[in-house]
Amino acid sequence: MRPQSAGTWLALPVVAALGALCLAPLAILFAYSFFSVDFVTISHDPSLKNYARILQSETYRGLIARAFGSGLLVAAITAVIGYPVAWFLAKRAGAAKTMLLTLLLVPLYSGDLLRIFAWRVLLGAEGAINRSLIWLGAIDAPLQGLLFSPLATHIALTYNYLPFMVIGLWLAFESLDDAWLEAAADLGAPGRDRFRRVTLPLTAPGLIAGGLMVFVMVVGDYLTPQLLGGASGVTVISAINDLFGTAFDWPLGSAIAWTMLAILMLCFGAGAVLIRRSSLVAEGA
Amino acid sequence: MAVAENTAAGRRTRPLLEAIALYKSYGSVQAVRGIDLALAHESYVTLLGPSGCGKTTLLRMVGGFEAIGSGTLMLDGARLDDLPANLRPINTVFQSYALFPHLTVLENVAFGLSYRSLPKDRIKARAREALATVRMEAMADRRPRQLSGGQQQRVALARAIANEPRLLLLDEPLSALDRRMRKDMQIELKDLQRRLGMTFLHVTHDQEEAFALSDRIVVMRDGRIEQQGAPGDIYARPATAYVADFIGGASCLPGRILGQVGKSYAIETALGRHVVPGVSGLSVGARAVLCLRSEKVALGETGTPAHVTHAVYRGADWLLECVAGGQIFQVTHVGPPPAPGETVRLSFDPDRVWIAREAA
Repeated sequence: MRPQSAGTWLALPVVAALGALCLAPLAILFAYSFFSVDFVTISHDPSLKNYARILQSETYRGLIARAFGSGLLVAAITAVIGYPVAWFLAKRAGAAKTMLLTLLLVPLYSGDLLRIFAWRVLLGAEGAINRSLIWLGAIDAPLQGLLFSPLATHIALTYNYLPFMVIGLWLAFESLDDAWLEAAADLGAPGRDRFRRVTLPLTAPGLIAGGLMVFVMVVGDYLTPQLLGGASGVTVISAINDLFGTAFDWPLGSAIAWTMLAILMLCFGAGAVLIRRSSLVAEGA
Repeated sequence: MAVAENTAAGRRTRPLLEAIALYKSYGSVQAVRGIDLALAHESYVTLLGPSGCGKTTLLRMVGGFEAIGSGTLMLDGARLDDLPANLRPINTVFQSYALFPHLTVLENVAFGLSYRSLPKDRIKARAREALATVRMEAMADRRPRQLSGGQQQRVALARAIANEPRLLLLDEPLSALDRRMRKDMQIELKDLQRRLGMTFLHVTHDQEEAFALSDRIVVMRDGRIEQQGAPGDIYARPATAYVADFIGGASCLPGRILGQVGKSYAIETALGRHVVPGVSGLSVGARAVLCLRSEKVALGETGTPAHVTHAVYRGADWLLECVAGGQIFQVTHVGPPPAPGETVRLSFDPDRVWIAREAA
């Protein structure tokens, strides 16, 4: 047996285990999404009833749209903030790089709840921001809209998931050879074209990877909206949670989960195609 | 103003590129210290020197990738140093080729042409012409990573010449190729430069490459120009011991000038007195070196006794290393070599060796 094929065989159990552990639950969910609940048992007659219900229900449609809206918004904000940060880390930080990367990851070592309550302390009616503004004389009474609002949720979500975007982009910038930018300048490209035609397409994989991570995690985060969003804290994930728990409607929960998954995959397929297109030279071959 | 100077008559009399008192330092390190250089139109010039001699820094300043410390760069009589790289009529073949990995070969070559006001079909046609010049038109739709090193090199060359630059810069373009490929590319580069009538400025640390390509070689050392001239001149008449050693590895025998005899000097060395031609301007009593190239030294019945220490077979001949008067000499020898340890007699024709300065 040649060493290469030995490697293939040795890797097989791990690949198989990963496949089984990751894909099997999803496949089971997918199967469940076509079933229905008959009082306290699950009827195994396949139908598209659950998907029809989602389409007809304004509540579910709204929740799903809001989840994706939040995901896109936070992914976009983290991309805008993360892009220059990642560029700086890869190209300008020099010896401080390791330290800065560690600092970037420090918030991730603290718990979710800790970070969420830290934001409560900052944004609350008696919080640091309101007190500072009152002390400065900018406002007379505390701003009530800071905490328990979509604003609070999105600030905390951006803070939470920014490191994932930065890491994705940082790796992309690390493999961006400065010689490519010099070559573009050499061939006559002004600064904005060097960015549009070289930097952006060549860091797009990092942008997609980082964006995907942030997007997925924002869509799946229900603790942050629940604890900081106030009345706006109900999310599609908490709805799925309820359907699998108290409401005992696994088929509908599965259908919502799969609807989310399908839309997610479509979004990113489209994004990848878009970025590929934009990377081609104007006159194209 | 620049246009008025750029007449046909002006072109003929004025060098294409002029560097005047060019300096560059990085922190406390002086990479380029006082370079004056003029490149003639349609010439092939190499900057030759070991790593760290400032040759790449000089090239990068001409290309616009590195700001000049002080001094002036002129192209066709117009100031070049205040133009950013993208506005200079100069293109570069990078050491790493720097082909855009997300673009096809044709798109790579068309990249620079897209900044000319040309219709799209003209851009494509000219990119294909440039690829045909380096015989790569069949690879137009491939991506750079699907090409071999030699093919990538050709595409990089096509991309740089497609713009028809006034000056082409080549930054150690052949260093990543194997020996055989390098030889072939040398011939092609020289041929291409002649056909296009373009000026090439080529950076290399390989003296063979410099000899194969250049009309003019500029030997650099520690950020300065040590000597410049035609390859034959540099080889036969090195100005300093450094050049004699770096170009072709001459053995340099230190000595003292005793007097001038016509265009020759009398020199006193550990191996006796000789009257030998040399670099002009040496004064009596000055320290100088006698440069003996391996092919100019012969084994004979008479001459200086020396011990053979090594004999290296090189196919066509042997390279012997001999020691005489505490000095190591290299001798090219055809035929059966003496064994290491044997004593031989070394002789040379005084008219075929050269006296150079000890240092610049």
